[in-house]
Amino acid sequence: MIKNYFKMAWRNLVKHKFISFINLFGLTVGLTCCLLITVYILHETSYDKYNTNASRIYRVTRSFNNKDGAVTLRLGTVAPPFGPLLQNYFPDIQKMTRLLENGKTPVRYEEKIFNEDKLFFADENLVDIFNVAVTKGNPHRALLDPYTGMVTEEIAKKYFGDQDPMNKMIRINNQFNLKITGVYKAFPSTAHIHPEIMVSFNTLKDTAIYGQKSLETNFGNNSFFTYLLLPENYPYQNIIAKFPAFLDDRVHFPGAPANFKPSLRTTLGLQKLTDIHLRSHLDTEAEENGDIMRVYIFGVIALIILLIACINYMNLSTARSTLRAKEIGIRKVAGATRQELIAQFLSESVLISCMSMLLAFGCVALVIPWLNTLSGLTLSLSILLKWQIIVVILLVPFIVGLVSGVYPALFMSAFQPVKTLKGLFRAGGRSISFRQALVVVQFTISIVLIITTAIVFQQLGYMQKASLGYNKDHIVVLPYNIATTTQYESLRNDLLANANIRNVGRSSRIPTGRLLDSQNAALIEADSLQPINTELKFLAGDYDFIPTYDIQMAAGRNYSRDFGTDTSSYVVNEATVQTLGWGTPEKAIGKELSYGGMRGKVVGVMQNFHFESMHQKIVPMVLVLPRLQQAGFFHSISIKFSGANTTEALQAIEKAWKKNVPETPYEFDFLDNRFQKQYESEQRQGSLFTIFACIAIFIACLGLLGLSSFAITQRIKEIGIRKVLGAGAGSIVMLLSKDFLKLVVIAAVIAFPVAWYAMHQWLADFAYRISISWWIFIAAGIIAATVALLTVSIQAIKAAMANPVKSLRTE
Amino acid sequence: MIELQKIYKWHNNGNNRVFLLKDINLTVEEGAFISIMGPSGSGKSTLLNIIGMLDGPSEGSYRFLGQDVFNIKEKQRSQLYKENIGFVFQAYHLIDELTVYENIETPLLYQNIKSAERQAIVADMLDRFQIVGKKDLFPAQLSGGQQQLVGIARALVAKPKLLLADEPTGNLNSKQGEEIMQLFKQINEEDGVTIIQVTHSEKNAAYGKRIIELLDGRIEKK
Repeated sequence: MIKNYFKMAWRNLVKHKFISFINLFGLTVGLTCCLLITVYILHETSYDKYNTNASRIYRVTRSFNNKDGAVTLRLGTVAPPFGPLLQNYFPDIQKMTRLLENGKTPVRYEEKIFNEDKLFFADENLVDIFNVAVTKGNPHRALLDPYTGMVTEEIAKKYFGDQDPMNKMIRINNQFNLKITGVYKAFPSTAHIHPEIMVSFNTLKDTAIYGQKSLETNFGNNSFFTYLLLPENYPYQNIIAKFPAFLDDRVHFPGAPANFKPSLRTTLGLQKLTDIHLRSHLDTEAEENGDIMRVYIFGVIALIILLIACINYMNLSTARSTLRAKEIGIRKVAGATRQELIAQFLSESVLISCMSMLLAFGCVALVIPWLNTLSGLTLSLSILLKWQIIVVILLVPFIVGLVSGVYPALFMSAFQPVKTLKGLFRAGGRSISFRQALVVVQFTISIVLIITTAIVFQQLGYMQKASLGYNKDHIVVLPYNIATTTQYESLRNDLLANANIRNVGRSSRIPTGRLLDSQNAALIEADSLQPINTELKFLAGDYDFIPTYDIQMAAGRNYSRDFGTDTSSYVVNEATVQTLGWGTPEKAIGKELSYGGMRGKVVGVMQNFHFESMHQKIVPMVLVLPRLQQAGFFHSISIKFSGANTTEALQAIEKAWKKNVPETPYEFDFLDNRFQKQYESEQRQGSLFTIFACIAIFIACLGLLGLSSFAITQRIKEIGIRKVLGAGAGSIVMLLSKDFLKLVVIAAVIAFPVAWYAMHQWLADFAYRISISWWIFIAAGIIAATVALLTVSIQAIKAAMANPVKSLRTE
Repeated sequence: MIELQKIYKWHNNGNNRVFLLKDINLTVEEGAFISIMGPSGSGKSTLLNIIGMLDGPSEGSYRFLGQDVFNIKEKQRSQLYKENIGFVFQAYHLIDELTVYENIETPLLYQNIKSAERQAIVADMLDRFQIVGKKDLFPAQLSGGQQQLVGIARALVAKPKLLLADEPTGNLNSKQGEEIMQLFKQINEEDGVTIIQVTHSEKNAAYGKRIIELLDGRIEKK
């Protein structure tokens, strides 16, 4: 029997090629989206789970509170003494490991010199806690001795080619030599952190590098990733609950009064390793994380697209049912029961969805590489190769087949044979309204997606074009480290000697980055210090920082080499003036301030500018001019060049760099690139939404095509009579299209509030945002209506042009 | 075999009740060959559909092989129908997507007959109607007469006791029509299948052993 069902299904498929194509195509597109999103979700939720100890590893976090108890900074990294202190205080901690990221570091082997981004100091416990596939060397000894370390196979290949990397020496930061004592396989793409060079933690004990004493007492340098290994199913909340007591008991901040309770101003926390990728959004993270919300949103989108595709199948199958009415009648006369007919139609839909599933797999295989470039992810089909997932995937076509087939099957199997065989068959009005409801659902979804996409892009455009308060064009940024200090002046002079170079400035951070550092600030009133409750962010910059970035002064002046006293002066921004209640920028000039324990007078007020991305509010900040010996504050050089001659300017910069700083690889970046990168995630979101919106409206149109052709067949006689009575083609197209337009209008009415609410939530994430404008909604409605009208018109025009004699004769 | 008592069939058109059948009383013995005649709209097809259980009367009782057709369970009625009744239509009503062989096989599929047995029965039928050479053709490839032959083969394949035919020769030319009528006569006489046919043609009606005239939903005379 089943064989007969499939035979019939197959012949129907072949006979009605157009409808079958639409059906197969719609379902394939839907399933492809679903599969892709499944791959994405599995990828996102699999982070760090490859570790044998995944469920037992926790990361220590730290946050800071201001005096009101409000959290001002949340870090995924903590100060170095915390690890050993915690291990000592909590006996249940089985193992602890620390990692320190070293930032961009020049690494040299013989003639080869590269900047390495992923250089970490790591201790020997790392391999006991995490799964590290060490391919050469002793995993437990490789990270033990100072000045030894491990590299990934890729790094080994990069520096040593085919030579054996073991015991080779590489020079780190032109500071010390590192002996390679191990090689390991790069961490999987589903790790939240990817060290490529690991230097033994004990190397840090060298005072020239970090210093034993700093490791034990420096509570200010919170840049150490600290992981704990706890027993299976350990109630880690108990440890969190004891953190305040621990802090007050074991931690003493240097310079703080003896009775000062650290727990009032700082909090420690624990994060499950497996929560880091999706649920941790701290101010410092090892790498850019995913977002559980995004996973949910995509999951919902997958289901919605699949639903639209199923609705399509229902619509087209029921629309086509008039064509099959005769067959159904005959089968009933031949003795078929309703159940048998239902089984037949269901096996047809299951067959189609099985075929779609196969096609979808093909599509996914084709699309994944492209999607990876678009999204910056490393997705792979192989993630599906787990039996639990294979079982689900095998079940999906059956579920989809049943869901989309059950309504047409119930609908068609109820046909009365007497009527269908007498040619009196007319599908009832109720079924039409059901299908109209389905079309409304499809268009509601489409309109929501159109609006969403438009608003995402509008916000993106706003962020990219908004006045920043500084000039981001024609600026090249280069890394700066303490080793560059001695050569800096001659580098700067060489650069400025070239007519294409306008300005060269140094700073601790550069615009487009975050502004996270801060120091204690206090106002000086009648010789006593009044601590400031709000945090003033800290930016170290030299004399040339402000002119390089074209930042405008609201009052006063920039730091100047002409004033020897400027190392005890301060330049602040307008937000600071406002926060401190100084009234106007002019009034702020001359006010006394203590910052980081150093007193000084405000000499200038910068106009507010968007140092950080538009996600962040402009915060009060102090631009500090470090004293000469503090040049270690600087991390970047910014070079402003003339836009007229970019190539020449870049050549000049490279030449000057190679001449003055030969031991650091020349690696530049345009500020503009960094600026674009800030909004990469929105850009991606926008592109993906565009794709989803197009797919949704496309599938919805396929459904509409089916429904309109059905409705028009139903009214063919009416059209014939109207034409005989003198109606023109235009008025008939109007007549037929009007009904469908009504559906789109209903869909729009439902879609508008949904879209408004969703986008209102989304925009709340941005400190600077567009206000949602009504015309976007109208435009989305018009787009949907136009596309729908075009679809319907194809059918309507055909019907209106047909010879009425034909349609009337059949009656 | 068939006992119809006081069968009425109507539908409501606004306030008016339009009668399709009025007070039909009819007894048909096994082995009968009945022709129902009458002008268009006299209720011939409605009567045939009620006898064939495709439609129910508004009022009245119908006994088929001793069972009260409209007072038994749907399942039993369906069983009764499947095993005992075959239908032939004016427009043949073959399934366009199925071959001759598959069309004839269809009723057997719904009776859960095993594949091997089905093959034997269908082969037998093809043989008997001399259409073995056409078994893999689709309906569209056949002439009207051939299609009707397939239609009859399909109606008879499940060995029904009653064959109902609604103007079986209406779409055929007179020569083809005559062949079909001869076939009916043969089926009736040799196989003992009871036949009730609806027809417009006096000539075809004459093949029946008994003629019933319908006018405005009533049986005129016997």
